[in-house]
Amino acid sequence: MQPCSREMQGMSSLLNASSSQISLEDLQQQQSQSSSSIQGSQIHQIHASHYEPPPSHDDFLEQMLSTLGPPSWADLGGQPGKVPWDTTTTVPDGNGPNNKPRDDETPDNVPAFPFDESANLASKFRNHQISGGCGSKSAAAAAAAMMLQHQLMLARGGGAAGAGETGLVPMPLSLSNGEFDRSQNDVVDGSSSFKSPTSGCDAAVQALYNGFGAGSLAGAGQAPNQFHHPQGGSMAAQQNYGASGPAMNQTQAPSGSSGAQPAQPRPRVRARRGQATDPHSIAERLRRERIAERMKALQELVPNANKTDKASMLDEIIDYVKFLQLQVKVLSMSRLGGAAAVAPLVADMSPEGNGGDCIQANSNGGTHGRTSNGNTNNNQTASSNDTMTVTEHQVAKLMEEDMGSAMQYLQGKGLCLMPISLATAISTATCHTRNPMINNNHHHPPIGSNGEGPSSPSMSVLTVQSATTGNGAAAADGSVKDAASVSQPW
Amino acid sequence: MTNSPKGFTLNNADSCRVKFARRFLRSLIEIKTRQTNYNNNLSSSPSSSSEIRRRSERIKLKAYSSMAHAVGPRKAWTRALLLKLHNRAKRHRFRTRKRSSLAMVLKKKRVFRVKNHANFYKPAAERGNYSVLNSDEKTEKLRELVPGGKAMDICSLLEETAHFIKCLAMQVQVMHEIADQLSN
Repeated sequence: MQPCSREMQGMSSLLNASSSQISLEDLQQQQSQSSSSIQGSQIHQIHASHYEPPPSHDDFLEQMLSTLGPPSWADLGGQPGKVPWDTTTTVPDGNGPNNKPRDDETPDNVPAFPFDESANLASKFRNHQISGGCGSKSAAAAAAAMMLQHQLMLARGGGAAGAGETGLVPMPLSLSNGEFDRSQNDVVDGSSSFKSPTSGCDAAVQALYNGFGAGSLAGAGQAPNQFHHPQGGSMAAQQNYGASGPAMNQTQAPSGSSGAQPAQPRPRVRARRGQATDPHSIAERLRRERIAERMKALQELVPNANKTDKASMLDEIIDYVKFLQLQVKVLSMSRLGGAAAVAPLVADMSPEGNGGDCIQANSNGGTHGRTSNGNTNNNQTASSNDTMTVTEHQVAKLMEEDMGSAMQYLQGKGLCLMPISLATAISTATCHTRNPMINNNHHHPPIGSNGEGPSSPSMSVLTVQSATTGNGAAAADGSVKDAASVSQPW
Repeated sequence: MTNSPKGFTLNNADSCRVKFARRFLRSLIEIKTRQTNYNNNLSSSPSSSSEIRRRSERIKLKAYSSMAHAVGPRKAWTRALLLKLHNRAKRHRFRTRKRSSLAMVLKKKRVFRVKNHANFYKPAAERGNYSVLNSDEKTEKLRELVPGGKAMDICSLLEETAHFIKCLAMQVQVMHEIADQLSN
């Protein structure tokens, strides 16, 4: 677990009144009798993290958020300024957003015929440069902090999310507390899904929270339910924190609420307008809100996630996870020691049932009855530098899925398939500015910087090779579909 | 690694990356030495296709394992992933690897489960689950993708997915950089 000495220091700094100390000990005793000392240590951890540099998760979170693109947290009012615990620079990788393409992963090297699910994924997420940094990292962190505070408030000892994000406590202190207060009022009465602890905890808990403030509440969201719920009464009593409550409260509940004001202690749950006090519906409502929050969080992580529909959002999430896993697989293959290994690896691909008009030099599949010219092209592949390696493997992955469904999927996504001759013409004529647009999902803006010098010649090389292989192959239906789908986005 | 701040205090995100990078590089070296030993003993061609496939599979597994270890058994998906890797190792190698850490993982798993949401053990209908999300085909697909997803309700599944995506992105980035370094 966390180093205990640090926690003790943090705790001692927090404890400014002996009564609070005593109450903490009382609380600890209560805790220890009801469950293990885990909760105690977690409280330590939580309180310590209130002052200490944020532990494991939140900087990780910031890092991830920064590298994964700017979020849209306008509704939560995320400040674009630095958050107090932000100790790192805003550009961790030295890469701006989408401005430093990896040579071996430039999208325009991915050929114009993604036949495969993996190709779909690759083309869909091509513009999402994982290595790209983001300037609004602190905004992301701040917004994520608030969002996770939300989660903590609503997740009564439910998720492990509370564990990591206790470090985010300092910032939206009052907000979260007001939020927490309100939600506590909702569930304190008659919520069947939560067990309420012995009432003996109440006084101790109240003193505890008087001493430690709202931040610890958020952290304690991770603690078991029994620790949470006596706060319903005690928190209601601490109304000095409820000042900024309304800002967050609105996000939680419809505004027509006739009850659950943070101003007075409310032992009883008042019904919102048009809703019953039925504990099941309340629990269900909370649950739906929680799900919505998590979906929002995921929306920030997944690129191209401007879908409001939950089902399509899930689709995007699934696709993105598959894409990332595919990237790991491809990278692990390219790790085998350079170009020398590429050729045999590439030869390995061809008997694996690769299909179709393989734009890549390596393989054409036998499963679809197409002629395999892979071997002749292997030499060219081997001679190409490693910047092409990853892309090649990635494309080699294309040949694993059914082509027809892949094509339909592509068309549904608004991607453009084009005949190789057309692609060749375009790439040679208009160079790099066109390349990103050829395969891109129309959501993605063309990345001008991706079209560097080396990439376009390689593109044309690829298309030339594929022209030789593709046209030679029995790809009649393919090319017809290609022609058909060209018309869509253009 | 070009972008890890060596001169400054490492925050936790960086420490995660550094941990992962270190473990992964160590596994790479281990695989490489094992490969050369194997080749020395049995003069089999290192570039046969099946050999390469197996090696890449091994590398991939090592990547996931390094990541899961770097993150630690805090999250449900890392625990599930570590368990799966351990079982696989046991099954394939017939020798116990890292027994102590496995025991630690299991212990922590039990402890963490105590704090799980009370609704977890109730059937979906009793939970008042009117949301379609819990048994959608899409959620099923997501459950398959995220390690340990089969045993979670939709709430924790989404949460774990978010963290999993973050870690995957970091993993891809680090592996990418390593590949760049190795190929230059």
